[in-house]
Amino acid sequence: MTGPTASSATGLALAVAEVTKAFSSGPPWHHRRIAVLRGASLEVRAGELVGLVGENGSGKSTLMQVIVGLLARDGGKVERPGRLGYCPQQPLLWGKLTVAEHFELFARAYRLDDELASDSRDGLLAELRFTKYLGYRVEELSGGTRQKLNLALALLHEPQLLLLDEPYSGFDWETYLRFWEMAERRRADGMGILIVSHLLAERERLTRIYELREGRCELL
Amino acid sequence: MSRTAVFAREQLRAPFTLALLIAIPALFVISAAGVLSDFAGALGGSLAGDASVALSAGWAAAFISGALGFFQAASSRDADRRLALAGLGAPRVAASRIAASVLLAVVAATAAFVALELRIEVAHPLHAAVAVLAFALLYLAVGVLVGSIISAPLEGSLLVVFVFLLDAFAGPGMSGSPPPWAISQHAADILIAAGLGTGSPAGDWVKLALVTVGSLAAAFCVFVVSARSRA
Repeated sequence: MTGPTASSATGLALAVAEVTKAFSSGPPWHHRRIAVLRGASLEVRAGELVGLVGENGSGKSTLMQVIVGLLARDGGKVERPGRLGYCPQQPLLWGKLTVAEHFELFARAYRLDDELASDSRDGLLAELRFTKYLGYRVEELSGGTRQKLNLALALLHEPQLLLLDEPYSGFDWETYLRFWEMAERRRADGMGILIVSHLLAERERLTRIYELREGRCELL
Repeated sequence: MSRTAVFAREQLRAPFTLALLIAIPALFVISAAGVLSDFAGALGGSLAGDASVALSAGWAAAFISGALGFFQAASSRDADRRLALAGLGAPRVAASRIAASVLLAVVAATAAFVALELRIEVAHPLHAAVAVLAFALLYLAVGVLVGSIISAPLEGSLLVVFVFLLDAFAGPGMSGSPPPWAISQHAADILIAAGLGTGSPAGDWVKLALVTVGSLAAAFCVFVVSARSRA
């Protein structure tokens, strides 16, 4: 099952249980099946900031995409709230649209009314300090500013669960520190946050850390 | 602003794309139509004179619309999927993306039709205009369908061109009897008739409408499926 759950009753923002996922590759006469997730399980509760680490190719982004619903899982169970924010590893944006148009499209997708959308957008622009780029097209932005927009779109509707896949790649040091302050503020407000990274230097900020190893999540 | 308007604006911000949308159909009709009858003769077809010029307008609109549909769907695929998952839903994103592409296909069809009118005096201009637009919409659907499945630019564009070549070479005027899978045959029949100054029977119009709507519906369905979870 994937979808709205009894998270409000249990405090669970995300429950992933025994998820399996394999990819097929090669032509039919030389078919190979590569198992990436072999029973991965983890939990994130409301107000928790949880890390998921693992080597390159360990399956972190695959697990994230399964949780979000971009990839179908082969087995297991995912329970997550309806109001979900997802910040993908690569900014998935339209190069010829402006920052303002991105906010507009996502505000509609999240079904925010105009006033709430505007307030939320302005708050995020100020928080991440890229208000002056509102009228710029994505193709005109630096990598770091694109990443700010990528993150801001995931936060626009104040999700119950925030999934961040390598969220600070491309950030300068100041923005990196601001990112952690933002994450901690939202955790304090009750948001459940899962951060996926190959390198988590700020371990003291995290409630707990899982390591994805050989397709399974192990608590560190 | 509607989602369709935002997506259309995205494409219109590529001035080179817009220039190609107008220039390719116009140049093709004006400069290449003359050789089509020779080409048809080599393939065993009977296309000649004004009929070949008229058909060239349909092909030109089809070719540019197919390429446009493919690159629209393929280049925005990941961002469109993210938007669909964010809560907009795949059907709404598909409808907006295809509607935005239709606006641009209309531009290409208009350029092809205007070039046709400048080149020859078409006896049934309204018939010709509708048939050229149908060519554009049919290949827009082919492009979107391919772009929803294949995102690699080389493979995807080659597949669109391959479908176009098969269809064009097997279509009316180019071969003895068009096979049933030649998707543009009804549009071609109407366009050739318009060029020759004869009308088309009602049955041809009904078939053209069915094929065009069916193609767009197929593109919509494939887009929606591809915007959902991948296996």
